[in-house]
Amino acid sequence: MSQEVYEVTIWARGVFQDMEGRHASLLMANAADLGGKFVQAWDDYADLPDRVGVPLRKYVRLSDEEIEMRFVYVNNNPNLVVIMDDTIVKGMNILRGMPKGGSLIVNTRRTPDEILAFIPNKELLANIVCVDASGIAADAAIDFMGSEGGVEVASVGAGISAPLVGAASKVCDMFDVKNVVKVAANKDGVQKGFDSAQVKAL
Amino acid sequence: MSRFIIPKHLEVPLGAVLPAPVKEQPGMITGNWRTERPVIDHEACTTCLNCFIYCPDACWHLDEKTEQMVWNADYCKGCLICINECPANCLEPVNELEFPDGVVRLEKPF
Repeated sequence: MSQEVYEVTIWARGVFQDMEGRHASLLMANAADLGGKFVQAWDDYADLPDRVGVPLRKYVRLSDEEIEMRFVYVNNNPNLVVIMDDTIVKGMNILRGMPKGGSLIVNTRRTPDEILAFIPNKELLANIVCVDASGIAADAAIDFMGSEGGVEVASVGAGISAPLVGAASKVCDMFDVKNVVKVAANKDGVQKGFDSAQVKAL
Repeated sequence: MSRFIIPKHLEVPLGAVLPAPVKEQPGMITGNWRTERPVIDHEACTTCLNCFIYCPDACWHLDEKTEQMVWNADYCKGCLICINECPANCLEPVNELEFPDGVVRLEKPF
Protein backbone atom coordinates (compact mmCIF):
# COMPACT_ATOMS: atom_id res chain seq x y z
CA MET A 1 0.00 0.00 0.00
CA SER A 2 1.65 3.18 -1.15
CA GLN A 3 -0.69 5.48 0.70
CA GLU A 4 0.69 7.46 3.65
CA VAL A 5 -1.54 6.51 6.57
CA TYR A 6 -0.69 7.15 10.21
CA GLU A 7 -1.45 3.91 12.05
CA VAL A 8 -2.06 3.55 15.78
CA THR A 9 -2.27 0.28 17.71
CA ILE A 10 -3.64 0.35 21.26
CA TRP A 11 -2.92 -2.58 23.60
CA ALA A 12 -5.33 -3.03 26.52
CA ARG A 13 -6.05 -5.77 29.03
CA GLY A 14 -9.13 -7.88 28.36
CA VAL A 15 -12.50 -7.12 29.99
CA PHE A 16 -11.40 -4.57 32.59
CA GLN A 17 -9.71 -2.29 30.06
CA ASP A 18 -11.69 -3.29 26.98
CA MET A 19 -14.00 -0.28 27.08
CA GLU A 20 -11.21 2.16 27.90
CA GLY A 21 -9.14 0.79 25.05
CA ARG A 22 -11.98 1.34 22.62
CA HIS A 23 -12.56 4.81 24.04
CA ALA A 24 -8.90 5.67 23.47
CA SER A 25 -9.23 4.71 19.81
CA LEU A 26 -12.50 6.66 19.52
CA LEU A 27 -10.97 9.73 21.19
CA MET A 28 -8.04 9.79 18.78
CA ALA A 29 -10.32 9.34 15.79
CA ASN A 30 -12.83 11.96 16.96
CA ALA A 31 -10.11 14.48 17.80
CA ALA A 32 -8.39 13.99 14.46
CA ASP A 33 -11.78 14.23 12.75
CA LEU A 34 -12.31 17.65 14.31
CA GLY A 35 -8.91 18.62 12.93
CA GLY A 36 -10.02 17.74 9.42
CA LYS A 37 -8.35 14.31 9.01
CA PHE A 38 -9.81 11.16 7.53
CA VAL A 39 -10.12 8.55 10.27
CA GLN A 40 -10.91 4.90 10.97
CA ALA A 41 -11.20 3.32 14.45
CA TRP A 42 -12.09 -0.27 15.25
CA ASP A 43 -11.40 -3.28 17.50
CA ASP A 44 -9.34 -6.28 16.50
CA TYR A 45 -11.83 -8.99 15.63
CA ALA A 46 -9.38 -11.85 16.25
CA ASP A 47 -8.98 -10.83 19.91
CA LEU A 48 -12.67 -11.32 20.69
CA PRO A 49 -14.19 -12.70 22.84
CA ASP A 50 -11.86 -11.15 25.38
CA ARG A 51 -10.95 -12.91 28.61
CA VAL A 52 -9.81 -11.20 31.82
CA GLY A 53 -6.27 -9.94 31.38
CA VAL A 54 -5.77 -10.98 27.76
CA PRO A 55 -3.85 -8.40 25.70
CA LEU A 56 -6.30 -6.85 23.24
CA ARG A 57 -5.66 -4.61 20.26
CA LYS A 58 -7.61 -1.55 19.15
CA TYR A 59 -6.71 0.22 15.97
CA VAL A 60 -6.87 3.77 14.57
CA ARG A 61 -5.92 5.07 11.16
CA LEU A 62 -5.45 8.78 10.52
CA SER A 63 -4.70 10.37 7.17
CA ASP A 64 -4.74 13.67 5.34
CA GLU A 65 -6.41 12.07 2.32
CA GLU A 66 -9.16 9.51 2.08
CA ILE A 67 -8.08 6.13 3.47
CA GLU A 68 -8.25 3.44 0.83
CA MET A 69 -7.30 0.50 3.09
CA ARG A 70 -10.93 -0.31 3.74
CA PHE A 71 -10.73 -4.08 3.87
CA VAL A 72 -7.49 -4.47 5.84
CA TYR A 73 -8.52 -5.10 9.41
CA VAL A 74 -5.13 -4.94 11.15
CA ASN A 75 -2.48 -2.26 11.39
CA ASN A 76 0.62 -4.08 10.26
CA ASN A 77 2.95 -1.08 10.54
CA PRO A 78 1.87 1.05 13.50
CA ASN A 79 3.57 4.45 13.82
CA LEU A 80 2.23 4.91 17.34
CA VAL A 81 1.69 2.20 19.95
CA VAL A 82 -0.29 2.87 23.12
CA ILE A 83 0.08 0.48 26.08
CA MET A 84 -2.78 0.79 28.56
CA ASP A 85 -1.17 -1.52 31.12
CA ASP A 86 2.62 -1.46 31.54
CA THR A 87 2.99 -5.21 32.15
CA ILE A 88 2.00 -5.88 28.52
CA VAL A 89 5.56 -4.91 27.48
CA LYS A 90 6.75 -8.18 29.03
CA GLY A 91 4.25 -10.39 27.30
CA MET A 92 4.01 -9.13 23.74
CA ASN A 93 6.29 -8.00 20.94
CA ILE A 94 4.50 -4.67 20.94
CA LEU A 95 6.70 -2.94 18.34
CA ARG A 96 6.18 -5.62 15.69
CA GLY A 97 6.05 -4.08 12.23
CA MET A 98 6.79 -0.55 13.43
CA PRO A 99 8.74 1.55 10.92
CA LYS A 100 11.80 3.33 12.28
CA GLY A 101 10.94 6.51 14.15
CA GLY A 102 7.75 5.38 15.87
CA SER A 103 6.38 6.46 19.23
CA LEU A 104 5.32 4.53 22.32
CA ILE A 105 2.87 5.72 24.99
CA VAL A 106 2.81 3.72 28.24
CA ASN A 107 0.41 3.99 31.14
CA THR A 108 2.80 3.49 34.04
CA ARG A 109 4.03 4.86 37.32
CA ARG A 110 7.59 4.00 36.30
CA THR A 111 10.18 6.02 34.42
CA PRO A 112 10.79 5.61 30.66
CA ASP A 113 14.14 3.88 31.33
CA GLU A 114 12.51 1.17 33.43
CA ILE A 115 10.06 0.43 30.61
CA LEU A 116 12.77 0.50 27.92
CA ALA A 117 14.65 -2.25 29.78
CA PHE A 118 11.87 -4.65 28.76
CA ILE A 119 11.81 -3.66 25.07
CA PRO A 120 14.44 -5.49 23.01
CA ASN A 121 13.77 -3.72 19.69
CA LYS A 122 13.78 -0.18 21.08
CA GLU A 123 15.97 1.15 18.24
CA LEU A 124 12.70 1.50 16.27
CA LEU A 125 11.46 4.19 18.64
CA ALA A 126 11.93 7.92 18.19
CA ASN A 127 10.42 8.73 21.58
CA ILE A 128 8.69 7.12 24.53
CA VAL A 129 6.05 8.79 26.68
CA CYS A 130 5.20 7.60 30.19
CA VAL A 131 2.07 8.89 31.90
CA ASP A 132 0.39 7.69 35.09
CA ALA A 133 -3.08 7.57 33.56
CA SER A 134 -4.41 5.16 36.19
CA GLY A 135 -3.31 7.57 38.89
CA ILE A 136 -4.87 10.57 37.13
CA ALA A 137 -8.18 8.85 36.42
CA ALA A 138 -8.00 7.17 39.88
CA ASP A 139 -9.74 4.02 38.62
CA ALA A 140 -12.97 6.02 38.47
CA ALA A 141 -14.23 4.51 35.26
CA ILE A 142 -13.49 0.79 35.62
CA ASP A 143 -16.69 -0.96 34.73
CA PHE A 144 -17.63 -3.82 32.49
CA MET A 145 -20.20 -1.92 30.46
CA GLY A 146 -19.46 -1.60 26.82
CA SER A 147 -17.84 -4.98 26.39
CA GLU A 148 -18.51 -6.51 22.99
CA GLY A 149 -19.74 -3.71 20.84
CA GLY A 150 -21.68 -1.40 23.12
CA VAL A 151 -20.58 2.21 22.76
CA GLU A 152 -21.71 4.85 25.19
CA VAL A 153 -21.16 8.04 23.23
CA ALA A 154 -22.04 10.43 26.06
CA SER A 155 -19.09 9.44 28.24
CA VAL A 156 -16.36 8.45 25.81
CA GLY A 157 -13.07 9.11 27.54
CA ALA A 158 -14.16 9.18 31.17
CA GLY A 159 -11.40 6.94 32.51
CA ILE A 160 -7.74 6.23 31.77
CA SER A 161 -8.17 6.75 28.04
CA ALA A 162 -8.42 10.53 28.49
CA PRO A 163 -4.95 11.12 30.07
CA LEU A 164 -3.38 8.60 27.69
CA VAL A 165 -4.69 10.29 24.55
CA GLY A 166 -3.76 13.65 26.04
CA ALA A 167 -0.20 12.40 26.47
CA ALA A 168 -0.22 10.90 22.98
CA SER A 169 -1.03 14.28 21.46
CA LYS A 170 2.34 15.45 22.77
CA VAL A 171 4.26 13.31 20.26
CA CYS A 172 1.62 12.76 17.57
CA ASP A 173 0.93 15.70 15.27
CA MET A 174 -2.18 14.17 13.70
CA PHE A 175 -4.49 15.38 16.48
CA ASP A 176 -4.34 18.38 18.76
CA VAL A 177 -4.81 18.32 22.50
CA LYS A 178 -7.46 21.07 22.22
CA ASN A 179 -9.57 18.80 20.05
CA VAL A 180 -9.06 15.89 22.46
CA VAL A 181 -10.34 18.08 25.31
CA LYS A 182 -13.42 18.88 23.19
CA VAL A 183 -14.37 15.24 22.55
CA ALA A 184 -13.40 13.65 25.91
CA ALA A 185 -15.77 13.39 28.87
CA ASN A 186 -12.94 13.81 31.39
CA LYS A 187 -11.58 17.13 30.09
CA ASP A 188 -9.48 17.75 33.19
CA GLY A 189 -7.87 14.34 32.81
CA VAL A 190 -6.80 15.05 29.23
CA GLN A 191 -5.04 18.24 30.28
CA LYS A 192 -3.42 16.56 33.31
CA GLY A 193 -2.18 13.72 31.11
CA PHE A 194 -0.76 16.21 28.61
CA ASP A 195 1.00 18.18 31.36
CA SER A 196 2.35 15.29 33.44
CA ALA A 197 3.61 13.07 30.59
CA GLN A 198 7.34 12.32 30.70
CA VAL A 199 8.69 12.37 27.14
CA LYS A 200 12.06 10.80 26.44
CA ALA A 201 13.53 11.20 22.96
CA LEU A 202 15.75 8.33 21.83
CA MET B 1 -25.63 -61.71 28.07
CA SER B 2 -24.92 -58.06 27.24
CA ARG B 3 -27.72 -55.76 26.17
CA PHE B 4 -25.38 -54.09 23.69
CA ILE B 5 -24.36 -56.11 20.77
CA ILE B 6 -20.84 -55.17 19.75
CA PRO B 7 -19.66 -56.50 16.43
CA LYS B 8 -16.79 -58.89 16.75
CA HIS B 9 -14.39 -56.73 14.75
CA LEU B 10 -15.00 -53.69 17.05
CA GLU B 11 -14.33 -55.48 20.31
CA VAL B 12 -11.36 -54.19 22.26
CA PRO B 13 -9.94 -55.42 25.56
CA LEU B 14 -11.03 -53.29 28.50
CA GLY B 15 -8.40 -51.17 30.18
CA ALA B 16 -5.20 -49.82 28.74
CA VAL B 17 -2.15 -47.97 29.98
CA LEU B 18 -1.54 -44.84 27.96
CA PRO B 19 1.53 -42.68 28.15
CA ALA B 20 0.80 -39.29 29.70
CA PRO B 21 0.27 -36.46 27.22
CA VAL B 22 2.70 -33.55 27.24
CA LYS B 23 2.67 -31.67 30.52
CA GLU B 24 3.02 -28.28 28.88
CA GLN B 25 1.44 -27.09 25.66
CA PRO B 26 3.73 -24.51 24.01
CA GLY B 27 0.95 -23.38 21.69
CA MET B 28 -1.20 -22.20 24.61
CA ILE B 29 1.17 -20.04 26.67
CA THR B 30 -0.87 -17.65 28.79
CA GLY B 31 1.77 -16.06 31.00
CA ASN B 32 1.29 -12.69 29.34
CA TRP B 33 -2.22 -12.34 30.81
CA ARG B 34 -0.63 -11.69 34.19
CA THR B 35 -0.22 -8.29 35.82
CA GLU B 36 0.76 -9.59 39.27
CA ARG B 37 2.48 -12.79 40.23
CA PRO B 38 2.31 -14.79 43.51
CA VAL B 39 5.65 -14.82 45.32
CA ILE B 40 6.13 -17.62 47.84
CA ASP B 41 7.90 -17.41 51.17
CA HIS B 42 9.35 -20.91 51.52
CA GLU B 43 10.01 -20.43 55.24
CA ALA B 44 6.32 -19.91 55.99
CA CYS B 45 5.02 -22.49 53.50
CA THR B 46 3.67 -25.66 55.11
CA THR B 47 3.32 -27.52 51.75
CA CYS B 48 -0.36 -28.10 52.46
CA LEU B 49 -0.82 -28.21 48.64
CA ASN B 50 -3.85 -25.91 48.70
CA CYS B 51 -2.31 -23.82 45.90
CA PHE B 52 -1.78 -26.98 43.86
CA ILE B 53 -5.38 -28.05 44.40
CA TYR B 54 -7.04 -24.71 43.69
CA CYS B 55 -4.86 -23.46 40.80
CA PRO B 56 -7.08 -23.60 37.69
CA ASP B 57 -4.07 -23.96 35.42
CA ALA B 58 -1.99 -26.41 37.50
CA CYS B 59 0.81 -23.89 37.81
CA TRP B 60 1.91 -25.05 41.27
CA HIS B 61 3.55 -28.39 41.94
CA LEU B 62 5.59 -29.92 44.73
CA ASP B 63 9.21 -30.60 43.97
CA GLU B 64 9.73 -33.80 45.94
CA LYS B 65 13.51 -33.46 46.14
CA THR B 66 13.58 -30.03 47.76
CA GLU B 67 10.06 -30.33 49.26
CA GLN B 68 9.22 -26.86 48.02
CA MET B 69 6.36 -25.59 45.90
CA VAL B 70 7.40 -24.67 42.35
CA TRP B 71 5.54 -22.03 40.33
CA ASN B 72 5.18 -22.10 36.54
CA ALA B 73 5.69 -18.65 35.02
CA ASP B 74 4.68 -19.58 31.48
CA TYR B 75 1.08 -20.53 32.24
CA CYS B 76 0.13 -18.61 35.41
CA LYS B 77 -2.57 -16.10 34.39
CA GLY B 78 -2.25 -14.13 37.61
CA CYS B 79 -5.73 -14.93 38.96
CA LEU B 80 -4.18 -15.02 42.49
CA ILE B 81 -6.63 -17.69 43.68
CA CYS B 82 -3.66 -19.39 45.39
CA ILE B 83 -3.16 -16.31 47.56
CA ASN B 84 -6.81 -16.39 48.54
CA GLU B 85 -6.64 -20.07 49.45
CA CYS B 86 -3.25 -20.15 51.21
CA PRO B 87 -3.88 -20.91 54.93
CA ALA B 88 -0.30 -20.04 55.91
CA ASN B 89 -0.38 -16.62 54.19
CA CYS B 90 3.01 -17.31 52.64
CA LEU B 91 2.07 -15.93 49.19
CA GLU B 92 1.91 -12.29 48.22
CA PRO B 93 1.14 -10.52 44.94
CA VAL B 94 3.97 -8.52 43.38
CA ASN B 95 3.75 -6.47 40.19
CA GLU B 96 5.17 -8.25 37.18
CA LEU B 97 7.56 -5.45 36.17
CA GLU B 98 9.52 -5.94 39.40
CA PHE B 99 11.02 -9.07 37.86
CA PRO B 100 13.31 -9.20 34.82
CA ASP B 101 12.51 -12.90 34.29
CA GLY B 102 9.32 -14.54 33.12
CA VAL B 103 9.25 -12.66 29.81
CA VAL B 104 6.95 -14.49 27.44
CA ARG B 105 6.84 -12.06 24.48
CA LEU B 106 4.44 -13.62 22.02
CA GLU B 107 3.82 -12.41 18.50
CA LYS B 108 0.03 -12.75 18.79
CA PRO B 109 -2.14 -12.35 21.91
CA PHE B 110 -3.37 -15.95 21.81
